[in-house]
Amino acid sequence: MKLDDEVMWVEKYRPRTLNEIVGLNHIVKSLQVFLENPRSMPHLLLAGIPGTGKTTIALCIARELFGKKWKTFTLELNASDERGINTVRKRIKDFSRYRRTGFGNVPFSLIILDESDQMTGPAQTALRRIMETSSRTSRFILICNYSRKIIEPLQSRCAIFRFSKLDKNAMVEHLKKIAQKENLMLLEEAAEKIVEYSEGDLRYAINALQTAATYRRGDIDEQTVLQVVGEASPKQVQLMLIKAHNGDFIEARKMMYNLIGQYGFSGSEIVRQMQRELLKVSYLSDNEKAELTNIIGEYDFRLTQGANSDIQLSALLAQFSKFGRSKGESN
Amino acid sequence: MRANLLWVEKYRPQKISDVIGNAQAKNTFVNWLKSKRRRKKAVLLYGPAGVGKTALVNAASNQFNFTIVEMNASDTRTEKAINKVSKPATSYIALNKFSTETKGNILFLDEVDGVFGQQDRGGIGAIIKIINKSLIPVVMAANNPDLKKLRPLKKVCKLIRFQPIRTPLIITMLRRICVRENIEAEFEAIERIAENSRGDMRSAINDLQSIAEGRRFLRLQDTMFLSYRNKDIGMYETLKGMFSANSIVEAAILLNRSNVKYDDLLLSISDNLPLRYRDLVDLANAYDLVSRADVFRGRVGTENWRLLRYFFNLLAEATTISPTSFKPFDFIFPPIRIMKLFWTKSKRMKLESICAKIALKCHVSRSTAKKDIIPFIKIILEKQKLNPIISWLELGSDEVDYLNKMNKL
Repeated sequence: MKLDDEVMWVEKYRPRTLNEIVGLNHIVKSLQVFLENPRSMPHLLLAGIPGTGKTTIALCIARELFGKKWKTFTLELNASDERGINTVRKRIKDFSRYRRTGFGNVPFSLIILDESDQMTGPAQTALRRIMETSSRTSRFILICNYSRKIIEPLQSRCAIFRFSKLDKNAMVEHLKKIAQKENLMLLEEAAEKIVEYSEGDLRYAINALQTAATYRRGDIDEQTVLQVVGEASPKQVQLMLIKAHNGDFIEARKMMYNLIGQYGFSGSEIVRQMQRELLKVSYLSDNEKAELTNIIGEYDFRLTQGANSDIQLSALLAQFSKFGRSKGESN
Repeated sequence: MRANLLWVEKYRPQKISDVIGNAQAKNTFVNWLKSKRRRKKAVLLYGPAGVGKTALVNAASNQFNFTIVEMNASDTRTEKAINKVSKPATSYIALNKFSTETKGNILFLDEVDGVFGQQDRGGIGAIIKIINKSLIPVVMAANNPDLKKLRPLKKVCKLIRFQPIRTPLIITMLRRICVRENIEAEFEAIERIAENSRGDMRSAINDLQSIAEGRRFLRLQDTMFLSYRNKDIGMYETLKGMFSANSIVEAAILLNRSNVKYDDLLLSISDNLPLRYRDLVDLANAYDLVSRADVFRGRVGTENWRLLRYFFNLLAEATTISPTSFKPFDFIFPPIRIMKLFWTKSKRMKLESICAKIALKCHVSRSTAKKDIIPFIKIILEKQKLNPIISWLELGSDEVDYLNKMNKL
């Protein structure tokens, strides 16, 4: 297969067949049993943290079922992008209407519904009905991060596969293999550093590797990796946090509105990043970090209760300023 | 060519049915006008400005062929002046009778609440005299009748109350005008003008004309600089009063009298706290209260209005944390968020379109693209200006620019 037309490495090195997938042996084996006799294949629910191969496996299944023409018989939808169940319903209906017969000895078409835990309860209930009415002509692969967010009736209609964090060694090996194909010198400790920061997310790891490769010719070392990781995390969030902690509340609040307005960040995303960045601030003691985490948690909770996320964020930043000042005085 | 015509004149209702809103008041007035034996010879139409009092009288005279003899506040309203205009009209009713098309006269005294000023001494007595002598119907209009002072009037005339016009009705009218003026308007823009007018149709139409006349398109950001119109206690007075109040009770009472929209108020108090409290501990405590108020706002939603009182009390507490430290400052208004989101809307659209392209190619959602992939792509493009990712994702040059700017932020 020609790979050169893919530019992002996550796509270029995405496995095309189940055999190419490493580190998920037990899952791959059970799936291959289904594929020997496609008629027996149930609906599937793939659950697990990001970057562990759920979408890849779903796409592999599509290829193995339909061969080169897989795109004709597969509908790929992302529940977090499709607004409301009506769009989903309409697209699935339209799709199963025209592709009723499937291909060869595969008597159905395939519908891959990514991030299906983003659907509301009522939308999932509606999906259950769709699955029933179109079950003779189509199979569903539901993909989600948290299976507990999928309602029981849907779960009970699917064979469930759980994906846990990828094995560190397998990830390191995978990165090295890619580096070799790209003619890169990837030092062992650099590969390990990437894997450490990726927290088991292979997509993050490969993206970090590709980004590191653009820094300079020659070896990719630990230093380059740290640089990539630093620049990829939104600097604004850490800066904002430090500004607030130093008592420059007005500036910090301005940065918050920049994050919302120009980056399109949501309130909860900013809080999540703040929590991450807080741990990296070197001049805060562990005790201080714990206290500030507590504060972040309180306002994260209020964020879910309140009406305006920018007000909760402002209040959170003000708490940081107060905290910073009281520590400054006691020293 | 711009027609030199005020839209409020151009689109003035011609028939009674054209007058928008206040259906009950309209009916009462028309029935009074039509009836042969009136119990009271005069009516007083009262209510806020721009809700259609004068428009209704004019439309009625059009439709029923009355001739209007009019006076308004711009005339000096001494007894003499009133008599000069109204006596002939009331006494010599026969004068117009030769014309079969005219059914009669109405004496219309607009803005009668202006009669209490010094220059108008004796004005109200004169009006009562006229009503008593008049052979023809007397119609009066007032914005804000101080009912105490109008008490003598109340005995001789029927009071008809007009209310602010509901926003949807104003929106309908503004959209109709836009169609007639050949303006393509964003709904949000119309909505904002309508809301901003707070039930005042005249000011809404004036605002629309001031922003949109001669243009082909009307966008939301065009409405940004509409000043908030003061009705009773406006936003500035509310902020000023609350921030300078000496106690929670004082702030709460003021809040009670104010009729600013509470979502605007919440945002504005949040925006102005940093200017009010220089002390970081005070500031954090005040924000904590505003944050709690926001939580209550969330709980109120669209049905638990009962909970609003806690919302208001928390806001009153937030503005009076340390009354002694108050120093006057310039208020920030309109809310920063609204300004910010307007100006950055096009940028966010660009971001969304980049994310959509990534989502398509990389089998992820747009939000995952934004969170997990864009941070890397922007660095790659910084290091390698001509990386094939650009053509692979089919990014436009403006989108590349956008990603480059993200690096600097």
